[in-house]
Amino acid sequence: MAASIIWYLREFFRPGWLKKFLFAKTAPLTTPPYFRDFPEPTGKPCQHALFCMMVCPAPGAIDVVMEEDGWRPRIHKGHCIRCGLCVEACPNGVLRSGRILETRKAEGTAFIVTFRISIDPDLCTGCGNCATSCPVNKQLDPQIGAGGHSSNDEVIMRVLDGDVHVLHEEKCTGCKTCEVSCPTRAIQIARILEGTQQPQKGGGQ
Amino acid sequence: MSILQTIKDKVRSRSIHVSYVDLGSCNGCDIEVLACLAPRYDIEQYGIYVHNNPREADVLIVIGAYTPGWQEKLTPLWEKIPDPKAAIAVGNCPISGCCFNRRGAYIDPPVSKHIPVAAEVPGCPPRPTEILAAILSVRDAVFANWEGRQR
Ligand code: SF4
Ligand code: SF4
Ligand code: SF4
Repeated sequence: MAASIIWYLREFFRPGWLKKFLFAKTAPLTTPPYFRDFPEPTGKPCQHALFCMMVCPAPGAIDVVMEEDGWRPRIHKGHCIRCGLCVEACPNGVLRSGRILETRKAEGTAFIVTFRISIDPDLCTGCGNCATSCPVNKQLDPQIGAGGHSSNDEVIMRVLDGDVHVLHEEKCTGCKTCEVSCPTRAIQIARILEGTQQPQKGGGQ
Repeated sequence: MSILQTIKDKVRSRSIHVSYVDLGSCNGCDIEVLACLAPRYDIEQYGIYVHNNPREADVLIVIGAYTPGWQEKLTPLWEKIPDPKAAIAVGNCPISGCCFNRRGAYIDPPVSKHIPVAAEVPGCPPRPTEILAAILSVRDAVFANWEGRQR
């Protein structure tokens, strides 16, 4: 009888068992390395492409600011929802988070930005301000002057017969200088961001 | 610190009672708080108990972006909690309003405008481990030697 009581007491008051019972047992307070946490800088220089700000779905989560040693994206905790889109969209690999960069490389995913120029013919007066102010136009045809006339058909847009014609939409860099310089706000630049994926080498599925 | 205080601290650090309140959110953070209770994270092994009764709570977990319905309710609820107490804002919503914070929206974040918030856990939603770590750090910061600091 006494032996059996002692046996039970020894069984229940095993130090290891007591420790397990009284103190925290699992250690879940670690974050696995593949967790998609708040984006962090990789150290590569930011080229100020602003794709991150374009793609970010959360209000006020990311901005790109000038610091002593160049541009730098800043993530605001409390606003960022850790979707990781900025990491994926950045063409220069400035940010990292979880396995996104590795996945992007392995699966050939990317975001590309295109720009669409739309001109409202009712508002456009054919003044040519847009064609004159466009920095890409200026590079392609240094002769382009006030009025936006150009004999060069490589330019993005030019004025012909009192109307502005868009020739090479694909050369637009989205700077929106034309939008600002248009006196009647007839010209609008739309940014179109779209996800792409290269087909896998070796067939894939 | 007296021996009594040491014992009190010891006991209190293993007995944190949590009440949570959702001020209008997408429910994502509520699910993460719920996940804390599940065996994977098992919040009770740290001596943290979720009761949802402010009168026996030590920690108030605030979720959500503060909709107008809470205007007359949150402060009385906070006052019902006996001292020592601490509020933890969980998720982006009580910090910034997250995706609900549009121009002209009815919400009124941050919640720290309305009640004193001791800790903020950003994320949409935050991991259960982050919520747990916040409660544990508040426990150490707010409840340790509370009577001693009152004098
Ligand atoms: S992770 Fe998502 S929400 Fe956060 S800054 Fe990047 S794009 Fe915005
Ligand atoms: S947005 Fe810039 S590059 Fe594009 S057409 Fe206007 S001025 Fe030219
Ligand atoms: S922070 Fe995100 S997950 Fe949490 S309640 Fe707000 S919207 Fe939902």
